[in-house]
Order: sequence, then structure tokens, then C-alpha cells
Amino acid sequence: MEPLLKIENLTKVYERGDVLALDDISFTVERGEFLVLIGLSGSGKSTLLRCINRLVEPTAGRVIFDGVDVTAAKPRELRQLRSRMAMIFQHFNLVKRSMVLTNVLSGRLGYANPWLSAVKKFSPKDVDLAMANLKRVGIPEQAYKRADELSGGQQQRVGIARALMQTPDLLMADEPVSALDPATSHSVMQYTEQMNQQDGVTVIASLHFLGLARRYGTRILALKDGKIVFEGSPQEIDQAKFREIYGEEAEEVEVR
Amino acid sequence: MQRVRTLLLAFLADWMMWGYLAYATVYLLNAYWYTMYVNWYGTLMLPVWGWPIVVIATFELTVLGHAYGQTPGQALFGLRLLDQNLRPPDLSARSQYLARWHIEPILKLFRRNTKRQSDSSRAQMRLLDDVKDKMPTTKPRKWYKTHRGIMVVALLVATFWVGWLVTEIDLPTFFSDAPRAGYMWKALFTPSFEHLLTPEPVIARENPSMAPIQTTILGGIIESVFMALLATVVGAIIAFPLSFLGARNMMGFSPIGWTIYGFMRAFFNIFRSIESILWAIIFGIWVGFGPFAGSLALMLHTIAALGKLFSEQVESVDPGPLEAIAATGARRWQVVVYGVIPQILPSYLAFTLYRWDINVRMSTVISLMGGGGIGRFLFFYKNSVGFIENNWNQVGAVVWTIVAVVWTLDYISGRVRERIT
Repeated sequence: MEPLLKIENLTKVYERGDVLALDDISFTVERGEFLVLIGLSGSGKSTLLRCINRLVEPTAGRVIFDGVDVTAAKPRELRQLRSRMAMIFQHFNLVKRSMVLTNVLSGRLGYANPWLSAVKKFSPKDVDLAMANLKRVGIPEQAYKRADELSGGQQQRVGIARALMQTPDLLMADEPVSALDPATSHSVMQYTEQMNQQDGVTVIASLHFLGLARRYGTRILALKDGKIVFEGSPQEIDQAKFREIYGEEAEEVEVR
Repeated sequence: MQRVRTLLLAFLADWMMWGYLAYATVYLLNAYWYTMYVNWYGTLMLPVWGWPIVVIATFELTVLGHAYGQTPGQALFGLRLLDQNLRPPDLSARSQYLARWHIEPILKLFRRNTKRQSDSSRAQMRLLDDVKDKMPTTKPRKWYKTHRGIMVVALLVATFWVGWLVTEIDLPTFFSDAPRAGYMWKALFTPSFEHLLTPEPVIARENPSMAPIQTTILGGIIESVFMALLATVVGAIIAFPLSFLGARNMMGFSPIGWTIYGFMRAFFNIFRSIESILWAIIFGIWVGFGPFAGSLALMLHTIAALGKLFSEQVESVDPGPLEAIAATGARRWQVVVYGVIPQILPSYLAFTLYRWDINVRMSTVISLMGGGGIGRFLFFYKNSVGFIENNWNQVGAVVWTIVAVVWTLDYISGRVRERIT
């Protein structure tokens, strides 16, 4: 079977400041993988994830998702592709003033009837699915609260519920636990692991802590200055490799 | 290229500042020395040969400022004269810069394609954005020892001094002639509310079509409040969609986007800066003077003012949620409905409420042009000196009614704003 995601010579130059964020990156992601991206801040992890669903327009190269060229997709086609790739964010990116349920339902926008969605109506099936997903992430009782009344961990779980609404083939997590404390981090990571193992969703997650990367990742990709400097299984990263990725003065911090 | 443009802009800004100072100096010289002999008002007297001197001198002063300090213009555009080590250059390097500034253009005429030799002591104008991460920290000088600080103080002093003369401020008269207005103050503070509820006979006679209640002060203020309410609500409804067209982050970066954005911004700024009283005249001729023309005038001004405020709100929304919603495969307008509108709605409501009490106040002035409402009474009583015995007491009644209503509206809108934001 062909891989779910194929990245070919992806390059991104930010015109403002003339920064080379991604430098000719190529790799493939197989179905069912849990790929972890590591690297320093500014190494291009976020840009890479955003280039995959074209929230950031790549300068050169191709992204092929399930046999379809994302980089060449027309707007309508791109929307359909995006609805199959879910994303969760470091700062959760919920609409803070909206209800939790509305936030979760917004994950369904790519599938929903556009006319109904214009007046914030969704089919009963979608609403049931939203409640089921909130139950799945363990916060069904928060459905009618405003999103900003929730704690950080709860907000990220709303983000996961929103991602679940898309019934995605691919989940991209952009530093999903960087804004959370260690205990909450694990609970959030476990939900993504659950999606990976039970629903068969392929996951690409960028993480800051190597401990988390080792615990959850099936494969690790390390970026440095927009280039891939390491690709392999979590066990292969030893002290020397670690120094190479994070610089000479880096010291590993454990998260348990 | 960007460096050259920035340099040019900074230079022009500084030159304008010096020019302004020169203007102020000449103005003050004229005001204090020549008033006895010539009519200096509006024109500046300077010998013909004086102007080239002013132009060249301000130019030289600007260059001097650039060479020996950090000018306000440089600070404004993020420029700094630095040596090779990115430190502030020493005196000789600064003098060299000054000399080079004058000589280099001439040398360039004769020598083409000459390579610049890299002299380590050479000072160069740098863009702070490029070098600020690499700059060694140096202790900044006290503000009154910098060119920038002194210049700003000089500009402020010049502005205030010239402004004092231009506005013909006369404090002695202000205090010595105060008793002349005493009787008015007394009348204003002892208002006569006799026509608050009973019709004003003269206005009733002149406007036979008006119901008796409309010819009372209470009727007038009610008319004003409704004029303002209608203008505000309709204006806000129209400004709502326009504000998205005037927001940078909504219009994308295509040429069409830029055009619509620029057009909307121009519309907001032009229509906002034209006073609504002028619109009242235009609409008065168009649809006839009266409350309708007044409402239209207020509405147009409201659209422009709210449109600008609204579009600034749209520009300051948190982009994160928009990104998240776009990533789910939503259409662009769905991103607006689900991401932008929930974020801006509370401040839209707050601005609209605030605008309502501005409009009540504005509607009183609009009545001067026959716009209807409470202003009709204000100007009727004001103009009735000699016809109505206690006319200033009546004016007082109108003023206090307006105060009461505006105060109440302000209080209510304040409370509502507190709740929703």
C-alpha cells in the first residue's frame, strides 16, 4: 500500500526577514504511524506541519496526501483534503467566547451543510457525534460552558474532540502539550495515542520533551535549521545524537 | 533598497522637523519685533536672501544631527549610526561620516565602479532591525543629553509658544471680564422647567402640524433620542459588513483585496472627518430640513466612525482560532462566522452603545441646521433674547434635560459594556 503522506523537496522561505524555514525536506509517513517531530524552537516543525495542509503556502516542493497532490489542489479540493487532516495546536486555538459544543462542532464544517452552518445549525447526527466525542475525552458536562472557562488541559481535550469530529486520516499535533503541566500532558497524549491505536489515525506530533517522544512515538524525525538531521526509532537517540540535534550545551529534561 | 528608502524617509522627517523649528523661530521673530511696522498676520517676513539660508541651514543641521547623534527621524524609522563593531562610533568616525556625506556624491560623479574599501573605523548607518540581536549593550544616555530628547522638547516648546500666539490667548480678560457673563450663569443654574411638559406656544404656532407633546422640551428630547437610536442602529448594521472589507487580515494580499481595503479605509476616513452638521445641510436640501435629514446625517457619520472602529477590531482578532477552523476544511466565510464574529461581537455592541450617546449629543448641534429634536428648543430660546423674558432660564432647562439624558444613557451603556466584555 502506498504511504499516507509523501513530502518531496519541501522548501519554505519567509519573504519577511528572508528566512529559510524549511530546506529541501523529503520523507514519507506510513499509515498508522505515530511520527514525532523534535527540534529546537524555530527549527521549522510548525512550518512543516502547516505546509502539509497549506495553512502556510510552501515555496517549493510537493506534499502528496493519500495519492493526491495537496500543493496543486484547487481551493475546493484543498478544503476536502483539509477535512481529512485534523490539527491540534499548542495554544488550543479555540474560539474562547463560543460554547464548547460550538467549538467541537466547528470541526465538522468541512462536511456539514453550508446553508445550515451559516446560522450555526448542525444536523442532529453531528450534534450527537459532538456529544459522543466530548464524552470520549471525558468532559461531557462542560458542553454548554464558554471555552475560556475551561482549564488548559480541558481546552486541549476540546481541541482533540474537534479533531475527532473530522474523522480524520491524519492528525497533526503542533506542540500539543507545551502549554500544559506534566500530568495533564500525559492525559492529552494518551488521547492522541488512543486515536492512533483504536481509530487507526496516523499521527504527526511535534514535541519538546524527548521523554514524551520516546514514550509515544513509533518513529522520530529531528529538524535543525529547516533540515532533517535524524530519522529513526526512538531508541536510536543517544546522548551524542541528542547533542547533535539540540546543540552542545543541551541537557535532557525528563518528563514522567 | 529598503535601507535607502528608510534613510530617505528618516532624513525627510528630520528635515521637516528642522523646517518646522525654523518656521516657528521666524514666526516668533515676526510676532515680537515687526508687529509695529507690518501686518505680519498670516505671512512671515524674511528678506528674500533669507529663505535659501533657511533651507540650506536646516539641511545642514539635519546632516549634523545624523552624524553626531540619533535624530528623532532615525529613532522613528529604526536607524542608527554604528561602527564596524556595532558600537556607537567615536568622534572622528562621526566627523568622517559627515565629511563623506558631502564629498561622496561629488566623487561618485568622477569615479565609477570603485570598490568600497572596508575601513574598520568607518561608521555606517544601519537598520536596527538587522543588527539589534548582534549589538553589544551600551548604557543609554539620559534623555536630556540626547539629540532626540532635546529636539522633542524644542518642538514641544515651539508648538506651545506659537500656538499661544495663534489662538490669541488673553488670560487677563478671561478673569477681569468674568462678571459680564454672570447673569447667564445664574439663569443657567436656575432653570425654568415650565415648558418641559406644557407646549411652547411660539414653536407650536410656527409648526401647526406638530402634536402638542412634540412642542414640549420632553418631546424634543424624545425625538432626539429616537433620531440618535435610529441613526445608530441602522449605521451599525451597515457598518458591520463594511468593516470586514476595511480590515487588512480579511482582504488578503491580492491586488483586488488591496484596492477594496484602500477604498474602504479612504471612505471611512473622509466621511468621518466631515462634520455631521455639513451632512445635515446636504441632506436638508436633499430631503427637506427636519428630523429625517438629521438622522441621515448622523447615520452617515456613524457608518464611517463605527466602520473604522469595527475594522480595527477585526484586525486585532486572535488569528489562532481562524487557523484552526480553516484547518478543518471550512470555507472562508465559515471561518468568519465561526472564528471572527464571536470574537468581535462584544466590542461591536460596546462601540455601538457608546456611539448612541455620542449621537444624542451630536443631534442637539445638528438641530442648528433645522435637524429637529431637542436642539430646536436650545436654539429657539437662545435666539429669543428680548422676546422671552426668562429665555436663559429656559435654555438652562434644555441644557439640564440634555445632561440628564446623556448621563443616564452613559450610565446604562457603561453597565452593559461592563457585562459583555
